[in-house]
Amino acid sequence: MTVAMEGGASSRQARLLAKTREKALSEEKAILDWLRTREDYRPNWEYFLELLADRRIETIEARCQRKAIRLLCNQTPLELIWAFGFQPVKIVCGSLAESAYSAREWPALMCPLIKGILTSLELDPDLANGSWVTPTSCDWVVKFWEISQKVKPGSGTVKFLELPHLKQRPESQKRWLEEIKALNLYLAQLKGKKIDRHKLIEAIQALNRAWMAIIELKKARLEGRLSLSWFLAIIGTFFFDRLDRWTSQVESLIEDLTEKRFSGVKVFLAGSPIFFPNFKLPALMEEAGLMVVADDLCSAERIFPGGQVFEDTSEWGLLASLAGRYHQGCLCPTFGDNERRVHNILAQQQEAQILGVVFVVLKGCHPYDLESSTIESTLKDRGLRFLRLETDYATEDRQNLFTRLEAFGHSLAGV
Amino acid sequence: MSVRRIKNIVQYLSFAILMYGGRVGVHLGSALPCFACPYVPGCGGFCYLMGLQGYIGFGLVAGVAAGKEILVALGWFLVFVVSASLLGKAWCGWICPFGLIQDWLSWLRKKMGARERYISPEGKKILGSIKYIFLFLIVLLPPLITAKILPPDLYLPFCNICPGKLILPLFAGETKYLAVNLDNAVTLWLSLALIAVTASVLVGVYFKDRLFCLFCPLLALIHILRPLTALRLVKEPSACLGCGNCRRNCQMDVAIIDQDIAQVQTIECLDCLRCLEACPSTGSLSLKFFGFNLFISSRWVTSALRLKP
Repeated sequence: MTVAMEGGASSRQARLLAKTREKALSEEKAILDWLRTREDYRPNWEYFLELLADRRIETIEARCQRKAIRLLCNQTPLELIWAFGFQPVKIVCGSLAESAYSAREWPALMCPLIKGILTSLELDPDLANGSWVTPTSCDWVVKFWEISQKVKPGSGTVKFLELPHLKQRPESQKRWLEEIKALNLYLAQLKGKKIDRHKLIEAIQALNRAWMAIIELKKARLEGRLSLSWFLAIIGTFFFDRLDRWTSQVESLIEDLTEKRFSGVKVFLAGSPIFFPNFKLPALMEEAGLMVVADDLCSAERIFPGGQVFEDTSEWGLLASLAGRYHQGCLCPTFGDNERRVHNILAQQQEAQILGVVFVVLKGCHPYDLESSTIESTLKDRGLRFLRLETDYATEDRQNLFTRLEAFGHSLAGV
Repeated sequence: MSVRRIKNIVQYLSFAILMYGGRVGVHLGSALPCFACPYVPGCGGFCYLMGLQGYIGFGLVAGVAAGKEILVALGWFLVFVVSASLLGKAWCGWICPFGLIQDWLSWLRKKMGARERYISPEGKKILGSIKYIFLFLIVLLPPLITAKILPPDLYLPFCNICPGKLILPLFAGETKYLAVNLDNAVTLWLSLALIAVTASVLVGVYFKDRLFCLFCPLLALIHILRPLTALRLVKEPSACLGCGNCRRNCQMDVAIIDQDIAQVQTIECLDCLRCLEACPSTGSLSLKFFGFNLFISSRWVTSALRLKP
């Protein structure tokens, strides 16, 4: 009887999971079709849509001919992973269906990204296995591994990087360097050989080339040659192919971006990350006549903390340089001394003539939620308008969000 | 063109002029705020430290009697003040021939993949105080030598132990300063001290960028004139993102450069502009000349990222 009940529950769960997979695929297809049918679509951008369409870990490994290291958050030095011959893949999920599936079991006000990833673990067996590197950024990320073991017991291995949350203190910087050195040893164990510093330098230079391409993308968006939606779509594929191939594709795409096609009320986009296929907000902002010219989303401009300039070419020097850049250079709201984050926004007031800031808080994303009020008051003191939007992956609030965005745009246009 | 490329061009041009300028009739005088060594045959100018020791010891003290000599001493002092005030620490970072030689050793270390050693702020404080001891001795010893309290072989005491005296003439084919001077006990000890200091500096500089600049008394003199300096590295704290690129790339490990303060040009700063080049924030760091921007950090300029190690 017990077996039958378990069997029943299990088959119900399997049916639900299959339905979730179907829904998730249809969400993705809808966004891919939407991107394809937009006026700014070019057929030679299909490469990026193909990467978005198949993001399974197995496909990525086959595409890159490298074993994947699964990452959460942005503080893991990617160059180190490439230098060992692995492919870093940041695990994210913007699917409403996948997030909703996990909501049956996990707290309602839990980070939708983590909920989504928990479902992804069930949908993609390869994802749960293999090696994970997890910096201890927010509470959800810290607890992720523990709760993921409930979903997929005994699967995969994890290397935690204990992230010191006061990044400007020399003691914290030293501790973080020790974490990066430990990661170096962990990867050496996985690979079965020590790091080659020349390969690390090559990886740094390869990522610098990618960063220069991203700078050009940022410029294109700033000058109205690239839309926010396509910017997010392109950046969102960063981890899904070999770095050199991805960079070449972006460089060739930049050549297409010659004419100004977009205009609108210039705003800065800040707050919680936006992941494919959850393009609800970018679409609504464009519809409401807002032109996002810059952002500090960890899913977009902050996908890594910028180019790596280094002087000390020894292994120690390179690790120290990477550690510093990925720690001090990170603007994640989980840091306790993150006051200088607003400098980036204020700089856009001069440089890009932004009039306001749209600050997105994903329900359950507490660090951004907490930070929003202090940022709001600082920015308002400097004459910037501020719109805080709280949402999740659900689509029911579309009309409400659109009304607020449109009103915000009108109020800015009248400034 | 990257800032570093421009700096390299200036450094090599300066090296050529200051080391060989005299051979083609170029001589920039005896009060240069950098190690343009008078012991180099055919050099294009003299380091002011030699003048300072000479004029204070023999020029100034003897000049009180001679009258005319003191005017010459004051004239060169003014030339030094004007030069140092005009270009400030750029003399150290961009012009000094001994600085370029130190940069070559750093380049060699990078090629060898050896780790650069870091000196703690406390260690730097202790080592940095040596330059004041040098400066004190430069001022104190020459009058004592003139007054015959100290032996005359101690004449130009700093030059006698300055590694520039041994290394720089080699580039002009002059090797005699490598030899131990056996004239008397003083010259013997001085030449042994010169060899020991030079060897230590070379080894030290290999492991730490511009280590000798920490001890350089000339740098201390230039820094004293900082309130008059026209060329200044300036920070705009409200533009800084705190990424720490500047500090990590600083040759002199200036600890305060990534902090929320405007006055970042400490005594160690050489205006080498590695910080400015590595800074990803527009307008956070700038090099100003009489208030006009010569170089400014930018989020868009990526030349630093293209640099090959």
